[in-house]
Amino acid sequence: MPQSKSDSSKFMFANKQHNKASLLTVFLRSARYEGKFLLHNSWDYLMLLWLPLLTIFGTWWIFSKPYIVDLPIGVIDESRSGYSRTLTRYLDASPDLKVHKLYLNTDESNDALLNQEIYGVVLIPHDFADEINQAKPSPVILKVNAQYGSHSGIVQRGVQSVVGTLSAGVEIKRTVKQGSYPEQAKISYSPIGIERINLFNMGASYQQFLASTVIPALLHILAMIIGATTIGRELRDRTFASWYQNMAYTDMPYPDFKTLKQIPPEQKLAHVQSALSNHWQPSNRFAFLENQHYGYVPYAHSALTIQPNSYQAFNAQLTPDLNTPILPEKVSAATLIAGLNGKLIWATLIYTLWGALSVMLATSAHATDWLPILLVFIAFIALTMISFWLGAIFSLSSYSLRMGLSSTAFISAPSFAFAGVTYPLVAMSEGAQRWANALPLTHYLKVHISQLQMLAPSSIALPTLKGLMVAVIATLLITVLLSLRAFKNPHKWGAR
Amino acid sequence: MSEQTNHDAKQESMKNKPTISHRTFLQGFLGTLASVFKDKGVLLMLIIAPIIYGFFYPWPYRSEVVTEVPVGIVDNDRSELSQTIARYSNASPNLSVRHYTTQEDAMDAIYRDDIAGYLMIPKNLERDVYTSKPTYVSILGNNSYFLLNKQVQLGFTQAVGTVSAGVEVKRSVAQGAYLPTAKVSTQAVPLRIDPLFNPSEGYGAYVVPAVAILILQQTLMMGTALLIGTWHENKRQHASVFGWLGRILALSSVTFLVACFYYGWVFSFQNYPRGHNMLGTLLFMAVFAPVVSTLGCLFGMWFKERERSMQILIFSSLPMFFVSGYPWPISQLPEPLHYVRWLFPSTSGMNASVLLNQIGAPLSYVSDYLLHLTVLGLITFALLMWVQRRQLKREISSLWHS
Repeated sequence: MPQSKSDSSKFMFANKQHNKASLLTVFLRSARYEGKFLLHNSWDYLMLLWLPLLTIFGTWWIFSKPYIVDLPIGVIDESRSGYSRTLTRYLDASPDLKVHKLYLNTDESNDALLNQEIYGVVLIPHDFADEINQAKPSPVILKVNAQYGSHSGIVQRGVQSVVGTLSAGVEIKRTVKQGSYPEQAKISYSPIGIERINLFNMGASYQQFLASTVIPALLHILAMIIGATTIGRELRDRTFASWYQNMAYTDMPYPDFKTLKQIPPEQKLAHVQSALSNHWQPSNRFAFLENQHYGYVPYAHSALTIQPNSYQAFNAQLTPDLNTPILPEKVSAATLIAGLNGKLIWATLIYTLWGALSVMLATSAHATDWLPILLVFIAFIALTMISFWLGAIFSLSSYSLRMGLSSTAFISAPSFAFAGVTYPLVAMSEGAQRWANALPLTHYLKVHISQLQMLAPSSIALPTLKGLMVAVIATLLITVLLSLRAFKNPHKWGAR
Repeated sequence: MSEQTNHDAKQESMKNKPTISHRTFLQGFLGTLASVFKDKGVLLMLIIAPIIYGFFYPWPYRSEVVTEVPVGIVDNDRSELSQTIARYSNASPNLSVRHYTTQEDAMDAIYRDDIAGYLMIPKNLERDVYTSKPTYVSILGNNSYFLLNKQVQLGFTQAVGTVSAGVEVKRSVAQGAYLPTAKVSTQAVPLRIDPLFNPSEGYGAYVVPAVAILILQQTLMMGTALLIGTWHENKRQHASVFGWLGRILALSSVTFLVACFYYGWVFSFQNYPRGHNMLGTLLFMAVFAPVVSTLGCLFGMWFKERERSMQILIFSSLPMFFVSGYPWPISQLPEPLHYVRWLFPSTSGMNASVLLNQIGAPLSYVSDYLLHLTVLGLITFALLMWVQRRQLKREISSLWHS
């Protein structure tokens, strides 16, 4: 099928007698293609193995002392009485707090606050004991560094409960003095008692609250990056069609990724295509090829690329023909589905392992049935697949690996802030809630928290799980459609 | 394009030497500045992304404090007293009450995230209270969500406490006490909490000013590495010491201006505490930005490819945030992380910026942070020079062998 020179992007194979592969073979060949690539590209391999491993154990380690204890506070004791010393002792005994130092005045304590030696200071006024003895309310003041929000929350909780205890003691003592029995005094101090129960995460373990939810959030970011690079890389190198043909034709040799790694992205296509034997070249390219001498080194870009008697130097000349992607005659959606899944199979397999590891860590805190574990595990795999396809979608829709990664960063990096774990969804504006609900992480974390922490009935998680599965299929189909669109616009490939 | 051909010609003329593209400080500065605006990728990363984030990141926290949290009440008493408790609870700004007939229903609602907790009022509450029998109500909060549970506990405790105090006053008066005396004696030692520096205790006001520094760091680091990586691909990465300094100054100046947008506009638009030590803040940024940009240069020389920095570095912001000591107390970190955390400029950056800008500390309080940044910057620059030297050596020796 002769092509006109002006229609330069429409190169196709001259010889159509090549062996077309079945879908299973397409899947396997695509997997093999990617496997060979990963063997020689350590940065990409890093994204599969070492970074997720570092992420999982690193995050778990950061929160390995899961209960916040002994936050340093200061005390300014102007009263210097038995009561104030008792209060100071109680404060120091509180599991939340540690009295770092007694300060003489607010100047000293402010200095310590700004030096981050303490996060709050309790001021006991000079008339503290007198007021108590006269049965007047005798207030205590807590000045807390509220800019450090989480520190401040714990300090407030600790001081509140200590002062509450002291206050109750004073009142009961007072009632007893008035002639009541101690038991009766307790009741009349507080006619309606309050029992406070923290459901599900009784001791407020941050490992359960943050570490177990941050890990999937980080793996989600990494998975989106993998999706964006695995597909975006072929677009950047303009080897998208080479990848397709490689999996579609069983007799096409795999590219030499070892050599390819040393070649700048814009020369990769030429190298891949020139490495193919003549019968793979389009008919209108033969004449051109026969006039070339492969051994000749006409020009070198720099010292680094000079490798005599190799193709690279030849390719550096970037002959327009070799540098134009040979397009498949027909692109089928089924082949793409099998091929895309094959290309990401290594990432899927290894992230399944990471999913298992992170769910195991999350359940190490408290025992759970196998069914909720299984549900969360399935949800995690769905989240990972959605992340892969979303990353691919961002690269494919912009035809650029860089834009794909930029969009990935924009969407995934703040997605934990929107997920409603640290700051609740109900407190967000309607728009922010809508955005949060559009993010897959929000839904995954709902399943994660309801099943692994709240131990809720599995039926609660099923609709979300179904939704995640539908999203996997929807994002895959969008990826396929965008891939088809990409084959129609090969002139847009190679954008940086 | 013409720049490229120009460059090609130049390169051909010095075919046998590795190119040093920026020889003087001015060349480095101007050449880099021009590239920032010519390269869409760098422009997006360095300027547009942080500006968009300035709007986007504070978005979920616009309400600042969590109010009207949906909660349940299971009222097994159905008395006047229990209804008073329900009324007081609903009147609390923290809570918005729904009624459930059984605990199972309420629990189910918690599982569905319809409510964040509930109050269980036992049978015979009113009778027990008025016959002075010990009795209590239970507040059950979903502690899978710390902030929600805090509001649930606080809202119900205050509501029940108020009703309880009312009962106590009534009882004292009945026993012959004078009403005002009865009222004041309900709490012997009240606690007054004085939240310093973030008086409204807003969540956004707490998180965003620190995260803003992280955003500036990540965009500058990745943007710089993207540019240097691109130059590496085109064999234009090498520069003299002054050339590098010019490059670093150019890149960090851009981020310095974006930081001014945060300090001057984003924080005031969001109404966060801000600008308490503006001069100190600017001085801090003048140290912080070059350090980050130097680190970006080092990454660019190491990654050698345009897109690589994003691929590797995007995920790093959350871990850096957690080891900084800002959201998670340093005393809680395992010992080795006490050292590891100083590898990141953000550790000093977030704390110093918040201390200066939000808290208004004088410069002397952040001098250790500034010192850390300076040392980190110097070490990074030395590493950068070493990496360049090694790469140049390799290029020259490969030339020799060919």
